[in-house]
Order: sequence, then C-alpha cells, then structure tokens
Amino acid sequence: MAFTITCPICGPRSGYEFRYGGEDKGPRPDPAQMTPEAWCDYVHMTDSRPGVQKEWWYHRAGCGTWFTIYRDTTTNLEVAPDSPETVA
Amino acid sequence: MLGLRKRIWTPRPVKSSYDAVIIGGGLHGLATAYFLARDHGITNVAVIEKRFIGFGGSGRNTAIVRANQRTQENLPLYKEALDLWPVLTRELDFNLMFHNCGNLNLAHGEAALKAMRLQVSSARFLGIDSRLLDPKECKDLVPALDISQRPRYPITGGMYHPPGGIVRHDAVVWGLAKGCSRRGVHIHQGTEVTGIGFERGKVAWVDTDRGKIRTPRVLNAAGGYSAGIASRLMGLRLPISVLTIQAMVTQPLKPLLHHVISSGAYHCYANQTLKGEIVTGAHMDPWPNFTTQTTAAYIKHQAEFVTEFLPCLKGAKFMRIWGGLADMTPDMAPIIDGHVPAEGCFIDCGWGYFGFKSSTVTGRYMARYMATGECPEILEPFALKRFQEHRLMGETAALVDYSANN
Repeated sequence: MAFTITCPICGPRSGYEFRYGGEDKGPRPDPAQMTPEAWCDYVHMTDSRPGVQKEWWYHRAGCGTWFTIYRDTTTNLEVAPDSPETVA
Repeated sequence: MLGLRKRIWTPRPVKSSYDAVIIGGGLHGLATAYFLARDHGITNVAVIEKRFIGFGGSGRNTAIVRANQRTQENLPLYKEALDLWPVLTRELDFNLMFHNCGNLNLAHGEAALKAMRLQVSSARFLGIDSRLLDPKECKDLVPALDISQRPRYPITGGMYHPPGGIVRHDAVVWGLAKGCSRRGVHIHQGTEVTGIGFERGKVAWVDTDRGKIRTPRVLNAAGGYSAGIASRLMGLRLPISVLTIQAMVTQPLKPLLHHVISSGAYHCYANQTLKGEIVTGAHMDPWPNFTTQTTAAYIKHQAEFVTEFLPCLKGAKFMRIWGGLADMTPDMAPIIDGHVPAEGCFIDCGWGYFGFKSSTVTGRYMARYMATGECPEILEPFALKRFQEHRLMGETAALVDYSANN
C-alpha cells in the first residue's frame, strides 16, 4: 500500500523504511512517584482507537531519527499536527 | 424457492433492558450468548453488532483449528475447543464442516526443531496428540513438499498435530446465531454501542444508536475494536496493538494438500479447501491500523514463499485476497477478565490471530464467569493484572510480534 511517512530530516519516504515505535504516551513517569499501575500503564497500555493518534516512528533504514507524527489509523494517512482532528 | 426457506435466526426489536449485553456479534460474543442461555438459563441476552454477525475476524480468519500452542495455560483451552466442534455440530443441528485433517508445522533449522520439541512435549504432557517428524516423514505425509536442499530454508523436520484441522467459520457463526435465537437471545445487527453507563461502581446501562439498554452485565467481545471500546467507553486501557492481517486463495486445483501446512521461517501457511482452493496467509502490517487493506507486495511475497516448500503451486493463480484485524498483546495470549474496571464489566479480547480456534470454549467459560461472577480456573491466567505483575505468558517465543513491544 502506498504508505508514506514524513521524516523530519529526509522528508516523505516509504513506510517500510520505518519502524513503528508505539503511541505517544507523554513523558516517562517520574521514578520518585512511580507506582506499579503508572509504570504498567506507561509500558504496556494503549488507547488503540480507530482514528487519529500521535505516535512514534524510527527511521530504521534511513537517518535513524526518532520522531512523532499524527496518523489516521483507519486510512494510514498522515494528518497535519495543526489540523482539528489531532485534538484528542 | 429460496424465499420460502426459514430464516436460521430471527431479528427482534431492541428491548430497554437485558440481563446481559454482549458487544460484538462475532464468534466470541455469539458463543458466550449461546452458553449463557444453554448452561445458565440466562436467555434475556442481547448481542449488539455494529455491522452484521461474522463481519469481523469471525468471517475473515483462515478457519484453522489446532491445539499445539506452547504454554500450559493456553493448551487446555485449545484442547477443549477442539473437542467441542463435533459436540456443537450435533447440538446446533448445523454442519460446521469440521475436518480434522491434521496440521503439519515445518521446521527449517535446529532452533525451530528445538522449539518444536518443547511444544510437542507440552502438548503430550497435557494429553494432546503431537509428534515430531523428520523430513522424510513430512514428505510421506505431504508428497508435494520439497524436502531437498534447493529452497533457501530447507525443511529439517516438522511437528505433526493430527487432531487439528479446518472448521467452516461462517457455519460456526450461523450455527451459533441459530442456537442463540432458538433459546431467546436477541441479536441486533447494525447497532452501535456509543456509551457504557455506571451507577454506584457497577455497570448500569449501555447507550446504543437505537436507544438506551439497562443491564447489569456487559461483555466487550468486539475483536479488533475491543481495545478502542475499552479505552473509550469503559475507561480501561489495554496492552493491545491492532494490525491488519491478510490472507488469500488460489483458483481451485485438484486435491494435492490433505493437511494444514505452516512454516514459521517463511511466515506462511496453506491448506486446501473442499472446493480445491489453496488458502494461504498470513502477512501483518508492521504498524497498527484498522484499514483491512490488502497489498500488492504481500501477494508477491506469498507467491514466492509458499512455492518455496510447495513448488507444484508455481503458476497457480490467486483469485481473492482479503484483510482482517488482529488485536495483538505483548505475550500473544488473550485478555479475559471480569469486574474491570467496574462490577459487571467483562472483557474477552486480545486474541490476535487465535480468536477463531478458541471462540466456542472461551464463550462457554465466559458465560460461566458472567453467570456466577466467579472466574473459572481455566481463565484465571488470562487476567489483565498479569501485565502489572510482570507475569507475561511465554506464548510469544514461537511467533512474531509486530507491535511496538518487540
């Protein structure tokens, strides 16, 4: 499928050059106030909603950058960060 | 003529309250409803399906059943599932076309054989027939196999599991729908659940686009959409990645394959239907998506790989290709739990690509869980809290995890 991802360094490239890095879950929880629930939530849990999500990608077969994009998981199309759909 | 035939199940109007509401008219949902009615006398049950019954994974899987998984928690469940097909065929008075032709899983190296030795031992320990074969024995079983040194990954042996095979998946959907309907269960197609309401820490109602339904029990068995429903409507985040998985069939051919053949190294499997088509899968997109789109790259991949060990298929034409959703967990085992996050909330999801073979037996135990409120022992290992307690199951070693977890 024509699936492209826009790398901040290399621009739009074939999706197969990238590795998916999971939903964006915000900053890593503070170890000082860590609970087993918070850690489990950060490590394992996802929203897995059909629709636009913010997610991490790694340009494995390219420049090696980690970055986030917004993508509609029902169409595999990227969504601009400033579009209204990105507001959860 | 066709118009005069009796419907196998009857649509009913939506009531304002039910004893149990099941989200998802797939096999897990229908099986749970069926056993709630059959074993526990709870017939005032609604199965709510957004599209139509069997539209999701229930009708898109490749219909393979087997009980040669890896862990002692999973195996008993799949074994019971295998034993249930003939029973249900009789009971539902519906031909499920169970054909226990046996599964042959190919090894292409010493590491694969080692993993198979473990799997065979685990299965036999639990009384399941599973055997290790050498390449010659594989060839005796499936003469079409290429056991020479020509393929990139030559065959070094195989794991043969005689009691496994094929069940007609649509027939199971229709059979269970028939069984449900006869026992008074309501199946509501084209109905979407839009909210779940709680009162005093318990489930109280379900909002749908056809009105509000009061109920003390809700089961989330929505397959690929279950994790989204859990996070959006139940306030319960799950460790699930939803991926599109593809499969395809060739034109009908003369009988040449009398077993289900699979290969981990080539990541594909094949079996021949009664019509003669070779069904083969299964590629997953390595990123979560709900598209169910098929890809040209995969058709090429599949043609290349399946003909590596079945060279006689060269030149056969693919007729159809389709995609479905697989809800993958980090340990390749499902999440079955109850009373999370509130009393009366049940979940049965995260089956990945194992949801078909386990559907009926899980429905039976889930029905007991929902009726009694007590978790049956066989389902206990699948509780959600295993992720927090770092007790993930070892089912993943033999398989590929495409989620962000590997």
